[in-house]
Amino acid sequence: MTASLSLGTANRSHAWGVTGPRCAWAVPFALVVVGAALDLASTEAPAAMPVFLPFDFSWFAWLGTVLPVWWFLRGNALLPADERPPPWRQAAFLLGMAAIWAVLQTRYLYLAEHEFFFNRIQHVVMHHLGPFLVALGLAGDPIRRGMPRRIAGVVTHRLIRRAIAPLQQPFVAAFLFVGLVALWLIPPVHFRAMISDRLFWIMNWSMVLDGLLFWCMVLDPRPAPPARAGYGARAAMAVGVIFPQILIGALIVFARYDIYPYYDFCGRFFPTISPRYDQLVGGMVVWIPPAMMSVIALILVLNHLRRAEESAPRPLDPRAARMEALSARWTGRPDARTNQTTTRDDLP
Amino acid sequence: MRGAISLALAGGLTATARPAAFAAAAQTIDVRGLVPALAFAATDAQSGKTVTAAAFRGKIVLLYLGYTNCPDVCPLTLHNIALILHRLGKDRADVRVLFVTVDPNRDSLAVLRRYTALFAPEIIGLRLGPNQLARLARRYRLAYSVSPATASHPYEVLHSSAVYVFDRTGAARLLIPSLASATPDLPGTTADLERLLHGSSAGLLGRLTRHF
Repeated sequence: MTASLSLGTANRSHAWGVTGPRCAWAVPFALVVVGAALDLASTEAPAAMPVFLPFDFSWFAWLGTVLPVWWFLRGNALLPADERPPPWRQAAFLLGMAAIWAVLQTRYLYLAEHEFFFNRIQHVVMHHLGPFLVALGLAGDPIRRGMPRRIAGVVTHRLIRRAIAPLQQPFVAAFLFVGLVALWLIPPVHFRAMISDRLFWIMNWSMVLDGLLFWCMVLDPRPAPPARAGYGARAAMAVGVIFPQILIGALIVFARYDIYPYYDFCGRFFPTISPRYDQLVGGMVVWIPPAMMSVIALILVLNHLRRAEESAPRPLDPRAARMEALSARWTGRPDARTNQTTTRDDLP
Repeated sequence: MRGAISLALAGGLTATARPAAFAAAAQTIDVRGLVPALAFAATDAQSGKTVTAAAFRGKIVLLYLGYTNCPDVCPLTLHNIALILHRLGKDRADVRVLFVTVDPNRDSLAVLRRYTALFAPEIIGLRLGPNQLARLARRYRLAYSVSPATASHPYEVLHSSAVYVFDRTGAARLLIPSLASATPDLPGTTADLERLLHGSSAGLLGRLTRHF
């Protein structure tokens, strides 16, 4: 991240710089080569793979994380300093991508396949925490700037936007968000998704993409338009998804028998943890962390609302301006006329 | 299959009603189209030579992971498999049981050979290298681990209880959740295997649903 900030300005004209034309092709090529090496290693020598390298290599997971990260770094180097996301947002994006990669590709995948509560933690990271951090990164502009023009042209194409637009209706987005959690937890569906490689990856990617869709919408700091939904609707989305998830979590926590026997058939990572206890902890993971994340999202939406209101044009009516100056004494907001915050010491 | 899971019968997230899919009587689960075909390369304990899945085309294959020092689950499972083979009568000639050791450090080919001979001649001991074993287990989502003894812990081996059943073409057909029980459903499991043996191949509907 710091590299993107410094290299960008230093090497802007250099062909081999981060922003140079050669790097634009050389780096993706190198990433494909590294991917091929990881693919080969994961196929041929799975027992020798270190825990942080792919347990079950997936090209989609590899390119789906490293290419956006590369485009993001490159885009940040290309963008003027005042258009880059601030460092903490850049860090959030990279951390979110790293978290998604970790639960989808590292040896953690084995844990997620063989212990229900690890599986639920994987889902919280794929669907909540990871996409949440990515959405905080406001990485859209840098990524679009950093990717090849032709690809940028495709992803920002009118038809793609139109296809996604219906999913960005607040109600539809919230329904999808909760619906996918519920769908993959229906016991027979869960069994099939866990035992079938194809369904397993469909499940994982549906969760990641839906998480990105939902949190990018909720955590958009801009007012609507250009954001898809108003602050009220976004606050309602963040809060609305809490209750169905509590219900799903509670159904699992209070289930009186082992509703996900897949883990028993194919073996648990911790054989000493009973199926019921595994299920209980897994249900808690469905129940509690998502609700906490929704509360954080609500606070962020309200903060975005406050900032949008404060940066909105101030009333020109002199009486309203006087009233606002008066109110500044107790609200702590900057005085519209002087743009300085009135503190208690300033008061006569 | 009596215990076939069905999306149509999806019990939803009802915590009170036991979904039909996983009723206690579900001795086998239909995994057609969900689990990849049989594929491996291993050392056959009987001959000491390398065998691949191709050697078992034309046979119904049961695949099970275990280890010979196993105190309970493996002997019980293999014993119950031997009882099922007995029930199959003449048909047992078309069945092969692959007992793959997850503890190749201790299970030499000779040990494996002597161990499987205790149960039935159709049971074949297979020994895989660490990478082949990891690949096989990952392919069939089976958990296993070996922790060598330390000062505070004895040598510990963990493995799954499931038995996969493959048809004559090598396609995965059934998952037997566990035969490591004192009261396994031997008649039911035998009947399911007989259905596979006598090739009541799936009709049009079966072939269609295979793709989902």
